[in-house]
Amino acid sequence: MKKVEAIIKPFKLDDVKEALSEIGIYGMTVTEVNGYGRQKGHKEIYRGAEYVVDFVPKIKVEIVVSDERADEAIETVRNAANSGKIGDGKIFISNIEQVVRVRTGETGTEAL
Amino acid sequence: MSILKNNIKAMDKKNTDILIKKRETLIGQFLSGDEPEFLKKHSSILDEYFLTVFEKSITARKMTMAKTPFAIIALGGYGRKEQCIHSDIDLLILFEKIVPPEVEAFLQELLYPLWDARFEVGYAVRNVSECLEIGFERFDVLTTILDARFICGASLIYTGFMEKFRSDLSGKHLKHTLNYLYEHGEKRHFDFGDSTYLIAPDLKSGFGGLRDYHTLLWYAKIKSGIKTRRDLEYYGFLSHFEYLSLTESLADIWKIRNFLHSITKRKCDTLYFEYQTELAGLLGYHSKNLQPDVERFLGDLHKRLDFLKQINQITYEDIYGTTRIGKGATGFHLTKIDGLVIKKRRLNFANTVAVLQKPDLLIKIFLESGLRKIPLSIEARRIVSEFSHLVDSKIKKDPDCIRIFKKIMSQSYWEFNVLNVMLATGILEKLIPEFSALVNKIQYNHYHLFPVDKHCIRCVQIINSFKDFKGSPTKSLYYSVFREVRNKNILFFTALLHDIGKSDPAKEHSKTGARIAKPIFERFGFNSTEVKDGVFLIENHLILIKTATRRDISDEETAVYMAHKIGKIRLLRMLYLLTVADSQATGPKAWNDWTENLLKDLFLKTMGIFKKGELASKKSQRLIDKRKKNVLRLLKEKWSENEIITQLEAMPKRYLVNVPAQSIAGHINLYRNLKGKDFIWQISKENNSDIRTVSICGKDKPGFYSKIAGVFFLNNLDIVASQAYSFGEEHVIDIFKVKPPKDRIFEKEKWEKAQKDLVHAIHDDHFLDNALIKIPHSIQVLSGKTPRPNTIRIDNETSSFFTIIEVFTYDFAGLLFAITNALYRSQLNVDVAMVATKVDQVVDVFYVKSLEHGSKIENEKGLSLVKNTILKSLPHITKKGDE
Repeated sequence: MKKVEAIIKPFKLDDVKEALSEIGIYGMTVTEVNGYGRQKGHKEIYRGAEYVVDFVPKIKVEIVVSDERADEAIETVRNAANSGKIGDGKIFISNIEQVVRVRTGETGTEAL
Repeated sequence: MSILKNNIKAMDKKNTDILIKKRETLIGQFLSGDEPEFLKKHSSILDEYFLTVFEKSITARKMTMAKTPFAIIALGGYGRKEQCIHSDIDLLILFEKIVPPEVEAFLQELLYPLWDARFEVGYAVRNVSECLEIGFERFDVLTTILDARFICGASLIYTGFMEKFRSDLSGKHLKHTLNYLYEHGEKRHFDFGDSTYLIAPDLKSGFGGLRDYHTLLWYAKIKSGIKTRRDLEYYGFLSHFEYLSLTESLADIWKIRNFLHSITKRKCDTLYFEYQTELAGLLGYHSKNLQPDVERFLGDLHKRLDFLKQINQITYEDIYGTTRIGKGATGFHLTKIDGLVIKKRRLNFANTVAVLQKPDLLIKIFLESGLRKIPLSIEARRIVSEFSHLVDSKIKKDPDCIRIFKKIMSQSYWEFNVLNVMLATGILEKLIPEFSALVNKIQYNHYHLFPVDKHCIRCVQIINSFKDFKGSPTKSLYYSVFREVRNKNILFFTALLHDIGKSDPAKEHSKTGARIAKPIFERFGFNSTEVKDGVFLIENHLILIKTATRRDISDEETAVYMAHKIGKIRLLRMLYLLTVADSQATGPKAWNDWTENLLKDLFLKTMGIFKKGELASKKSQRLIDKRKKNVLRLLKEKWSENEIITQLEAMPKRYLVNVPAQSIAGHINLYRNLKGKDFIWQISKENNSDIRTVSICGKDKPGFYSKIAGVFFLNNLDIVASQAYSFGEEHVIDIFKVKPPKDRIFEKEKWEKAQKDLVHAIHDDHFLDNALIKIPHSIQVLSGKTPRPNTIRIDNETSSFFTIIEVFTYDFAGLLFAITNALYRSQLNVDVAMVATKVDQVVDVFYVKSLEHGSKIENEKGLSLVKNTILKSLPHITKKGDE
């Protein structure tokens, strides 16, 4: 199993959610996160005073899928999060050792 | 020996069995409503257990005989005999001097069986001097000692200790302890916040929770050494009515707390969402009217919590008066309002006749309370409630009363909020009857922490907090924006009324709210512009937050759209503050650093659009509207009207301002014929000149603009001017004015070749490498002039969205390609380009964004890198004859 973590722009969340549900992936964890990457914050000036937006608000979407579905999921997220002009965020993929559903005790892909 | 041990074990078990059984019976009686004295009896059952174990314990007897007697003392809530179902049991085992090692064995007898039976027991074993030392060092220990109660054992140790404790407390430790109490209270409010009106309130620690009553009790114990709750009235800490209300409030809150413990099967003091309906049922709330049971239940509870909060205010004021007396506390006891008096730091009516004669006192009392930060006495609250019918239509129209009410709103602070008292006494509903529909209205989601009425009042409070300059840089932004709001009254009113449409959950509340609020604004004497502003703000109070979280705020169009929608700077300022207050008042899910940043960004960017003017002005809006109409007229026979409208909506304002309708229509036709191709172009001749206009519509891929310039250069097509725009979300329109090829006979073939080259260039990033080589290394300008060196000016201030790069140089073939290629290689996307040649001097302007992040270049290093890359791509400028 693979965990796909995507850091995307906030306004792209609906697109990503929709695209994933279209390929049958409904469960996901969504977190509001702050990015401090290479993309430094920016400053705005109001009445002579500088206001720095020192981190960039982003959304983190996490999904766990079976190995066979990983590529499809990654591609779907990538397409949905892409605004065409610019690279919007990053996708991290990692291996998941085990998944257990608390209610039933099912494990592995059964529990996804 | 082991038989003896087993016997002891069996005996212990028997004791706990008795305890458990008695407790179960008592809880059963309480839950069925037959036990009004539950807390006391619950404590007594525990006392009995400890007494029995103590009496039967051989170890205890041994210790006593060895001249190390001890006392078992109940602490905290157990000490006060206020033991709720799953509250902790706190014990102190107190020795005179020496703590013998045998105590361990005794604790095993006393506590292990309780732990085995899953009681939450906390204990401390100390001698008197240790206890005194720690007590005055640690506030949590001190307060438990204040509530200490002797259970069994050597009573002399207990009394001796308490005497010493009290004498130390009233002597050398008094001031220090009171200061501590004061600061601790402030910290608690900081940690827990004002939970009086939370939809899921913390019954114990929250503001308005039981802790507020404990604090009063501790304060009275510290200051006057009172023994029981009853003494609060006898010693003058509370008036008779206040004492009665306190007793009623506590009884209700304890009842709810016990039921909550019972259904959660643990010490749960927060009244979470999921338990509320069940609790309302258990507590006997059964539908009598339209309002749901839960809402009535919470409404009643909040009245109780509100009372405790008031008690807390009184307590803190008293502590403050005791500890800091003489520091600016003078003049506290007088009021200049005829018909009002101040007694014991509470505001009162002089007499009820005064209220009948001057009903406006019912409103004035709140202003006085707010201005002087003196709470209304319980009696005054009752009078206000009972006489609220005197606030009739005549009073409501009275300009003086309206003025007073407006002033009250601007006095509504965190620590002291008169609006809440106005709401609790029903006077707010009398003034604004429409507000009744919101009272105790709960919004069932995990977003809203407060009922709608309290949420609205919090909004007003938060807006008032913007008057302060303290805090983070963002806070200073609120401060300066607030100062710029000229008409603050309308802002306060909007804050109070913004959710007035929530009375009907089935409808979109912003719109309904605007409709309901309009007559309210009019009634309160606002002029037509103010009414219009208020209605606009209510109708659009969600637009900023929705846009900030759901649209691409790094796209200039978003801010331009906002600026158009809002229309006026003063409305933007008010809307921003209203949005911040609304989100803050909703709860942490709606307000955190994340949303704060998004919102701030959108506000500042929209402000930037307003200030620059070109895209947000009325003139440009009129021009755009006219152009759209003309485009529609031109295209309506060819394409469906709705499709054209949608397409026009998606176009950047900058494009619509700069490009004539005829050309826009042409571009739409191009776009509609694109159908999956990489690009499509159209070449037209200008009427009176020899220049060709090439309009290219294509997919927006990095470097597209640069590649077109390169292909024209490769084919010796000389670019005279050019503009680039994004076209909808994923496409671009690039317009080039080009000199025709010198060989006019084969012009058509030439264009066809260029088109093929562009296809190659799009798919092969190195296709244009040959063209790059052809860019000259130096160019000569006419002699007689001192040539100006190539200059790059970078403007990072004008636009919130783009880094604007201006290139000043001399014209040469391949110039545009040289620059745009440098930009592309620097990972920049050209969003807008304005290229024009005047004789031989060139000023090219590019609006660029980083390809990776879609935002401006923010760091100095990046900026100078871009500058140098462009400079390196340009040829040297020399004077003719200089070689």
